[in-house]
This record gives sequence, C-alpha cells and structure tokens, in this order.
Amino acid sequence: MTTVKCEMIDLLTIYKISLFLIVGLALLYGFQSYYPEFISFFSNAFPPLIAGVVVVVSGISLEKYWHRTRERFSIVWLCFTIGLFLWFLGESVWAGYTLILGVDIPYPSIADAFWLLGYIPFFIALLLYVKIFRLALPRKMLIISLATTVVLAILVFIALITPLLGAGEDLTTLIVDFAYPLLDLTLFSVAFLGLLIFVKGGVGKSWLLINAGILANVCGDILFSYTTAQEIYYNGHPLDILFDLGYLFFLLAFYVHTKEL
Amino acid sequence: MAPMEKLVKQLLFDAINDGLLTLGESGRKAVYFHLQKTFSLEMEEIPEKPEVFAEGLRKIFGVGAEVIEKSIIKSLYQKLGIEYSEKEDFNFLRYWNEAKQKADKSS
Repeated sequence: MTTVKCEMIDLLTIYKISLFLIVGLALLYGFQSYYPEFISFFSNAFPPLIAGVVVVVSGISLEKYWHRTRERFSIVWLCFTIGLFLWFLGESVWAGYTLILGVDIPYPSIADAFWLLGYIPFFIALLLYVKIFRLALPRKMLIISLATTVVLAILVFIALITPLLGAGEDLTTLIVDFAYPLLDLTLFSVAFLGLLIFVKGGVGKSWLLINAGILANVCGDILFSYTTAQEIYYNGHPLDILFDLGYLFFLLAFYVHTKEL
Repeated sequence: MAPMEKLVKQLLFDAINDGLLTLGESGRKAVYFHLQKTFSLEMEEIPEKPEVFAEGLRKIFGVGAEVIEKSIIKSLYQKLGIEYSEKEDFNFLRYWNEAKQKADKSS
C-alpha cells in the first residue's frame, strides 16, 4: 500500500512538473516580443533537448519490456524508440541548420526526411500494440473510429488545399506540407482505437497522453504548413509550442506506461 | 494438499501463464510484477484468487483485459479437455468456475 502511495505521489509530482513546464512555455512564447532573439534561439534549441529526453524515457520503457525480437510487445517498444529517435534526429538537424549554419527556415530539408521516416516505426508500434487487443473492440466502434479519421483527413485536406496551392510552392514542398498532417491523422486513427480499448484501465492514461501528443502534432503541422506557405512562419512562432507539447505528452505517456504496467 | 488438487492448481496456473503470453514474456512479467505490487497478489496465489486477478487485469487494461481473459480460458479448457464455446457476455469468472468445477469433479 505504501509503495502504491509512493508511486501515486511520484506520478503526481511528474504531472505537476509537466504543468509547470506547460505554463512556463506558454508564458515564454506569450511574452516573446520582449526577447525576440532569445525566443528564436530557444525555439530551435529546446525541441532536440525534449525530443532527446523522450528517446531516453522510451529507451527505459524498451529496457523494461524487451525480451526478444520475435515478441510483439518487445517490437512495439523497439519501434516506439526508433521512431522517436528519428524525430530526435529531425529536431537536431533542424537545430543544426538554424543555429550553426544560419539557415533561417530549413524547410523542406534533410530534417524532414528523418521526421517523415519516424512515422513508419511509430505507426507500426501503435498498430502492433492495438492488434494484440483488437478482439476487445466491437466492429461498430472500429467503423466509427475509421470514419472519424477519414472525415478529419478530408477536412484537413480541404482546409489546406486552397492556401497551399495558392502559395505557388514547388511540388516537393507541397507534398511535405500535406504529408505531415495526414501522417499525424494516420497515427491518430490507430491511437484512438487504443484509447477506446484501454480507457478504463491504468494503461489508458498512457494512451490518452499518446492521443494528446498526436493531436498536438496534428494542429502544429497544419499550422506549420499553412504559415510556411503564407510566409508568415518565423523561428519562435507560437505554434512551435504545439510541437513541444507533443513531445511532453509522449514523454509522459511512456513514463506513465512503465508505472501502470 | 492432495496430489490431484495440486495438479488442478498447476493446470490453472499454467493456463494463466499461457494466456498472459498474449503480451509476450516481458509483458507477462510486467503484469505479474504489477499485480504483486498493486494488489499484493503473488503469482502462485492467482489460481485461488481469480476474482482479484480479473479485477487487476481490468484495472490495467480496461476492456482490453477481455482478450487476455479469453486466451486464459481457452488454454484452460484445452488443458482440461473441455470444449470451449463462446457465450454472449463473456464473463471470465463464470468460465473459470465452470472449468474448475469440472476439474474438481474429475479429480
């Protein structure tokens, strides 16, 4: 009982630190007009840092759940870690371009290759996890979830098509612009199923956070595609907070998972 | 404990072990560890306290626990040579008690 209480306090402390971090980030971005140079530096330097911490936490989960390569649960955590590591590389390359090479907005660039590649293992991880428990999901729920995702994908497409096509971007940029939000929604379609399955259990907290992280990325990527196409994006743009939140939610999700199972 | 009773208990335990393998070895270990830590339920006590085990699984996996429970019941029925047929509104404890009664009778 004492152990359980300690674990609860432990989680509560983590939630408090996270809330403090979220409020801190919001204030930092909110008052950015007072320190434009710092926010420009911060918005490029912070993401690789937090993405690196997420990789470490995911690696700790992998260490806990790893048994052998032929086991689905082991592969799930390996894929999560690989996916997050690729996103960390994406963040690092972006930071390298902006902070070292002095490229203002390196988009699209090799950083996008890492980010886009990262979606593959992340998707496999979500799918394999959900597949273990797929029989617990009524067919009706599955259809509703898929239909919701398709509708959201259509809405994202419709919302972005006019501003992006009107911006006169080259084909590669256009493809990358659409790829991010649509890939986010692909992740969401599976993650939402996971949430439906586990919502009443302790693991459900972790799935809720995964869903929150993906949704933060959906919003961030839609806004990023729009603002870069309209040439109104700058380093330190408030939308960057959504990506930071995404990583923070993933970090919490993996931490909570190791506590709940 | 009579040898037959011991054998039934071992069968029940083996079925749980097999069912939890749905999650793989590492997942199974994690479940045992969590049940012990949160519910003070030791591995070897599970056959005697299936209700605590079922509650523990539900608290971890929500409705996802049904998948593991079904896997345990199928394994148990197979080990006891009973035909498994799915009934509406699956209830782990009902199946478990039914199987245990049959095993006790035959022992």
